[in-house]
Amino acid sequence: MSRTFSVLSANAREAAESLRRARLRTVLGLVGVMIGISSVIAMVSLGEIAREQARKQFEALGTDIVVVRKAVGSGAKAIDLPNALQVAAAVPSITEAAPRISGRGTFRFAGRKVGGGAVQGVTRSFASVNRLTLQEGRFISDLDADRYWCVVGAGVAEAMRGAGADRLAGSLLEVDEVLFTVVGVLDDKEESYALPVQVNANKSVFVPITTAQRIVPAPGVEVVIARSRAGVHYGTAVADIRSFFRKRAPGLGLDIVTAKELIARMEVQMGIFTLLLGAVGSISLIVGGIGIMNIMLVSVAERRAEIAIRRALGARQRDIRSQFLIESVILTIIGGMLGIALGLAATWTICRFTDWDFLISGLSVASGLGTAAAVGLFFGFQPAHQASRLDPIAGLQGK
Amino acid sequence: MLKLTGIRRSYRIGPVTTEILRGVDLEVHAGDLMSIMGPSGSGKTTLMNIVGLLDRPTSGACILDGRDVSGLRDDELSALRNRHIGFVFQSFHLLPQLTALENVCLPLVYRGAGRPEMRRHAQAILERVGMAERTGHRPDQLSGGQKQRVAIARALVGEPALLLADEPTGALDADTAGEVMALLRQLNAERGITILIITHDPSVAGQCARQTRIRDGRLFEPKAAAADGA
Repeated sequence: MSRTFSVLSANAREAAESLRRARLRTVLGLVGVMIGISSVIAMVSLGEIAREQARKQFEALGTDIVVVRKAVGSGAKAIDLPNALQVAAAVPSITEAAPRISGRGTFRFAGRKVGGGAVQGVTRSFASVNRLTLQEGRFISDLDADRYWCVVGAGVAEAMRGAGADRLAGSLLEVDEVLFTVVGVLDDKEESYALPVQVNANKSVFVPITTAQRIVPAPGVEVVIARSRAGVHYGTAVADIRSFFRKRAPGLGLDIVTAKELIARMEVQMGIFTLLLGAVGSISLIVGGIGIMNIMLVSVAERRAEIAIRRALGARQRDIRSQFLIESVILTIIGGMLGIALGLAATWTICRFTDWDFLISGLSVASGLGTAAAVGLFFGFQPAHQASRLDPIAGLQGK
Repeated sequence: MLKLTGIRRSYRIGPVTTEILRGVDLEVHAGDLMSIMGPSGSGKTTLMNIVGLLDRPTSGACILDGRDVSGLRDDELSALRNRHIGFVFQSFHLLPQLTALENVCLPLVYRGAGRPEMRRHAQAILERVGMAERTGHRPDQLSGGQKQRVAIARALVGEPALLLADEPTGALDADTAGEVMALLRQLNAERGITILIITHDPSVAGQCARQTRIRDGRLFEPKAAAADGA
């Protein structure tokens, strides 16, 4: 058996024993490290979960979405409706396009107010582009041009039922003193704030886009939401849309945002966010590490005689150093394991209150343990080194 | 076996340099039972630290088993202490958290022995010093005499060339002190263990075959009249 192994295993046994003896001090040290590691774990996990959550929202709506708006500061008034309606057919790199004219209105049913919100002038493709589904009736169709027919969001429908409507399809809804016949009711649709455009379907009323032109004081098409063809790079789709509008409407500046571009941007931001959270967590870890250092310094000071005796019996400086280093590393690794459990518990709790999907990030757990050991080595080194350099003569004489 | 020539040791405290040892010559032969007697402040502990390789002389040569130890690195000195020197202290210096057996094992730990082998050796040596029944006791469960027996067992477990005892009976009552001295003499006589005892007590020194005195940093050997540091 090698000397190093023999000394290290004896040191590990005695370190564990020594930690057990100094119970209160050990517990305090553990708590410090535990809080530090748990905050790092919780912060990094939450960052990862937030990123995962945003990614899922994008995927639910498709990463092929392209949003076209008039650029701020462009000289032209707005996107013309005829151009917006033709873009899907004329541009091969997109499969469908949904123009929207929006305004706001107050909704009344049977003389009672049932809410207020967006009045969105749309075409048939708006439902498929935005993955809207119906619980009743049908969506706006291309044959509904100029008709006073509407599709209501789930929230508006709920309010109408509350006001006494038993069958919604066919009933009349008053939008800013204009009567509309309800032809369809949307399913509840969770809003995706990660997207470059807000649909806010639940609280909206959808009407044919040509009807909207009459009742909404808007200069033209507010936005065109399109989907790029599978396998087409989003840059190509953007370039094709631009060249289409350049021909049809020279002087119209466009602001085109694609989901893929946003995802890429978001990934970078989330990375920075996670890093920042990790840094915040690390501060408490450093405080925990300083606690360990303090404890180890006290331990060394208390055991000067023991160190001197060991040196007299033949312990080398590095044997003494490893004895104290092992002690601090054991302390931080146990603290680290408790911290990981606490951090994951905290993350789980936060996820429960925010409706996020809890996931255990393997990376954060592994780095938590690694960091704990590193903290033990880093903050344990100075005390251990100090112990190894003690003068055995002074220690034996009790000085 | 051990030869000191012209050992000087001085300490500087602030601007003042105090010379504790002023040229000590000493030769210890294998199998010696030897005492160094002197009043406190005479330099006997300093001399023991130098012999025990815990301290380095300011000048002079210290030769252990034919090897000059003055230029050795700290690690090498630790290894030499571990193999060649056994310490017995006035206040025992057992580690309070370890059992008697574990205390006795310590020098073997730093030698890299396997656990079963260590325990076997320690058990045997504890039996030899009459502590076979107390191997699992911790120091606070032992009397002064028992503690010193464990300490002697610890000093001997590594089969050192030299056992250094600094006031081994200083903390014991007269009866117990007599028993400990009897044990040391027995070990010297039966096993030929070389023992160097440092004491201020003439009755302890009187039980040693070779007796030296230290005074004002110089060593005298009345009987042999050999080592006169002047």
